[in-house]
Amino acid sequence: MAHPRERWTGKELDRRQFLARAAAAGVALPSLAAIMEACSNPREGTTSTSKDPAGDGGLWQPGWPYPLARQDKPVTWNIFPDNQPIASDLQPEKNATLEIYNWDQYIWPKIIGEFADKYNCEFKITTFNNMDEALAKMRTGQLSFDVFFPTIDVLGKLISSKLLQPLNQDYIPNLPANVWDTYQDPFYDAGWQYTVPYTIYTTGIGYRTDVISKDEIEAMSNPYDIFWDPKYKGQVGIYDDYREAISMTLLRHGITDLNTTDPATIQQAGQDLIDLLNATNVRTSINGAYVGIPKGQYQVHQAWSGDIAAAWFYVPQATMANYQTIGYWYPKDRVGAVNNDCLAIPANSKSPVLAHLFLNYMLDFKNAMNNFSWVGYQVPQKQADPQTLTTTKSVQGEPYIFPWLSEAVVQEEDFKTGFLELELEPSVDALWHEAWSQFQSG
Amino acid sequence: MSGPRGWYRNPWRKPRVLQVATWGYLAWSILPVVIAIVISFNSGRSSATFQGFSLQWWNGAPQGDAQGSLFKSPDLHAAIIQTIRLSIIVMLIAVPLGVAFAIGLDRWRGRVAKTANFTMLASFVVPEIIIGVALFYTFTYTLNAAVKLGTTAQIIGLIAFQVSYPVIVVRARLLSIGKEYEEAAMDLGAPPRAAIRRVLLPMLYPAIFASFALVFADVVDDFVTVRYLSGGSSTETLSVKIYGAVRATPIPVYNAAASFMLFTTVVAIAVVYVLYKRFGRGQEGSAADFAAGQL
Amino acid sequence: MRFGTRPGASSRVADTATRASRRRGNKRGGGEGVWYPRWFWPSFATPASLYLLVFFVLPLYVIVSIAFGTVDATFQSPRPIYQPWFWTSQYLTKVTRDAVGYQRGVYIRTFIYVFIASVLCVLIAYTVAYYVSRFGGKRKGLFLTLLIAPFFVSYLMRMLAWINLLQIEGYVNKILGWIPFVPHKVNWLGGYPWTVVLGLVYGYVPYMILPLYGFLDRIQQSLLEAGRDLGASPARTFMRVTLPLSRQAILAGIVIVTLPMFGDYYTNNLLSNSPKTQMVGNLLDNAVNNTGQGPLAAVLVLIIMIILLVPMAYYLRSTSNELKVST
Repeated sequence: MAHPRERWTGKELDRRQFLARAAAAGVALPSLAAIMEACSNPREGTTSTSKDPAGDGGLWQPGWPYPLARQDKPVTWNIFPDNQPIASDLQPEKNATLEIYNWDQYIWPKIIGEFADKYNCEFKITTFNNMDEALAKMRTGQLSFDVFFPTIDVLGKLISSKLLQPLNQDYIPNLPANVWDTYQDPFYDAGWQYTVPYTIYTTGIGYRTDVISKDEIEAMSNPYDIFWDPKYKGQVGIYDDYREAISMTLLRHGITDLNTTDPATIQQAGQDLIDLLNATNVRTSINGAYVGIPKGQYQVHQAWSGDIAAAWFYVPQATMANYQTIGYWYPKDRVGAVNNDCLAIPANSKSPVLAHLFLNYMLDFKNAMNNFSWVGYQVPQKQADPQTLTTTKSVQGEPYIFPWLSEAVVQEEDFKTGFLELELEPSVDALWHEAWSQFQSG
Repeated sequence: MSGPRGWYRNPWRKPRVLQVATWGYLAWSILPVVIAIVISFNSGRSSATFQGFSLQWWNGAPQGDAQGSLFKSPDLHAAIIQTIRLSIIVMLIAVPLGVAFAIGLDRWRGRVAKTANFTMLASFVVPEIIIGVALFYTFTYTLNAAVKLGTTAQIIGLIAFQVSYPVIVVRARLLSIGKEYEEAAMDLGAPPRAAIRRVLLPMLYPAIFASFALVFADVVDDFVTVRYLSGGSSTETLSVKIYGAVRATPIPVYNAAASFMLFTTVVAIAVVYVLYKRFGRGQEGSAADFAAGQL
Repeated sequence: MRFGTRPGASSRVADTATRASRRRGNKRGGGEGVWYPRWFWPSFATPASLYLLVFFVLPLYVIVSIAFGTVDATFQSPRPIYQPWFWTSQYLTKVTRDAVGYQRGVYIRTFIYVFIASVLCVLIAYTVAYYVSRFGGKRKGLFLTLLIAPFFVSYLMRMLAWINLLQIEGYVNKILGWIPFVPHKVNWLGGYPWTVVLGLVYGYVPYMILPLYGFLDRIQQSLLEAGRDLGASPARTFMRVTLPLSRQAILAGIVIVTLPMFGDYYTNNLLSNSPKTQMVGNLLDNAVNNTGQGPLAAVLVLIIMIILLVPMAYYLRSTSNELKVST
């Protein structure tokens, strides 16, 4: 809509008159627009009509709101004219509070505390239980956070809706200096324009070694069947995460396309979860792997490698014998679910300079490794040799990953052999959610 | 008459079974809460067994726990402040609004009054999740530009839910007072507003004080509306923090938090009781007013 | 948290003597004797009425607009349609189809849980209220204090107390360990329906006891003594006199506890969190948080409202009746 001022060109208005009219227009125009909108059919615009995808590359069809990044089809996201990166060489905001929106227990508060001391700011962490919940709140645009921890399968939504701001890479020299080559130009965000990598992890099976021996689970022809084993009834858990849960049932059937668009396959996966419910009364949780297994609330729980590496913090009594009750299985041939999480800066961040500095801070080798030692999630740092993670002691006084959990170590090659859960087109995503709701309602 | 049959037929026998059942119920209803309070002073990390007395979960530095103690953790400290802030603001707005509503509804006749009364009762009986979800969508879609999730939204939502409390307590009181007093005052020449303020209002003090305590306590305990309308960790109250964490990591710090909430409620009631003793002298029924709100 | 309240019940708590004096006042001419400006009483009620209009009635309309609206292309988040002539019923159709389809179990389960929990509530509440009102004697004050005590303990804390007790290494299993041949390593929080029902009963029974007590306390002692003097056994007196008299009060108590139970999602989340024990409230809570299911959440709100229509109507009718009687 044209600016009100333009309509009075050529006509002399004194200042008072102008202000009065501008004020009247300011009141009238929005309500007029609202009425106009009310008269047009509100059902229009519910499918994206843009012929211009929000980025280059990837899978895309007209009508899709964003392109889908795949390993062989990288996406370079657009930098929108109304959503530009901040300028270089700005001073960090004064008296600011760094607002962090994160999963629970997914960053060591001590590291943020050190950052806050260094840059003389406060910090606040808000947690979410799963990405759906986080997106629901992010979408409103009402919450203003400075740092967000997206998974790579929601970037299209966030970027095409201009909820993330493009990064000014000048503030983040640590990424080119320290991080794995894969992440210098990741397929999901070519040229890392919006995100930096945070952690890397595989999704396997966590179990209690005093109930199930390592040999026992490795001898199984299909270890994913263990979730369906009535022997562990009431002691089995999966993540409260529709992608991870459904992907696990797909892998059980040897289906490796964890981004399947086939309704029958998705439906079948949902049915498998319901069978799982009937077989073992499975429960969903988000921290069953790192809290539930060490505490004995679960004997088997779907597990991210990082959760398992950190689970020793939660044993009832801190003894080596108790640490050894925690076990982790991931396919020997490394063909399982693998992924990485990101750090990004929401578009409405109030302290974008601090946020950039924070991203850089988290990619510093020492900070990244200290954070790894606490959250358990490995970081893609060049200097951290995966081979030595089970022997090098961290600041916590124990190895980063205990030797008997060596399957939990992530190698750079895992991203070539493993399968990634990536973004889905909204109508396909709805099918996945539908299958998940069917499971949720028992 | 003797023997079991006689015992059974004796109309004046002591109801031993009922007695045992009642004491059993009382033990069942109160003991778990007492145990939960005791566990907040646990020296161990377990919230299941008491291992020894310690104040570490209240004001110490519990070992190996990221969350810290109730008063030392910045997170929980912020939650305490948010809890008290919401409770006081909501109480100060909802009670006057509700008292006026009650006085108006009690005397105002007609279709509009009936509709208003019906709406008030409906807001009172619908499950809280319905108001919470409805307001969540209202604030994030319809009024997205005007009201942001966070303290303002929480206050608005809580008032919508709490305003009927004082209405019901005060109306119960109004029913027992009747119109004679302020009518007598007006017969003696007092203008209507003065009659309300100088005659009726003082008689309502017990009910008003009870409403203050009830609304305060209810807001402290709320974790439904407050959770849906919270804008981030800084606007989460103690009860939301407990709800979010206790299921997954039941550590005694949440027992301490819940005990603190209970303590806050008890203090609020004590304050109201003292106020009532000062301003409501000579009037019966503060306890009855409390009961009115809870029945 | 909020539970049903009965202004009518409270009016009974109020002193009956004043009520009698009021009736005399009415005979004398009552309200007509004094002139109030027309706007006088409405002016008191207007602020709160407007408030409820904007923040209670309007949000319910927003829910309707979302339920009959669509979703946006990117986030699948609701796009409310405020004009009824553009409404679509696709989500209503879907939810009702699911309700008789795969979600049927949840609805049936909710009704079963609520039914069992209310029956248990009635049994417990009636027993306790009956004993205290009949045989409380000098200890009545103490009993009442103990009965009111749970009101000041938040629902959350009372659930927390049971989370403590029901853990694997908790006191419930410890006590069971003393009894031979009884399993004492039970993971009570591992998704047992009975745990959820226990939570519901524990959470809501106090709200039934007080109104029942209020009622039973008013039943004329002489009526019962007459029965006994005529030689009826206590059981017979109870069955023939007390119980029939208290039917209304029981019904009211049931309404008070079932209304919040139908919207309950937290008891299940805290004490079980298994899909096997999900209730309708959980469907709603999940749908609010699941991407793309906003309209479904809105329809679920409407469905819960419909389920509650009967108890709510009963409640509203009985309260307005009592107000009429006492005015």
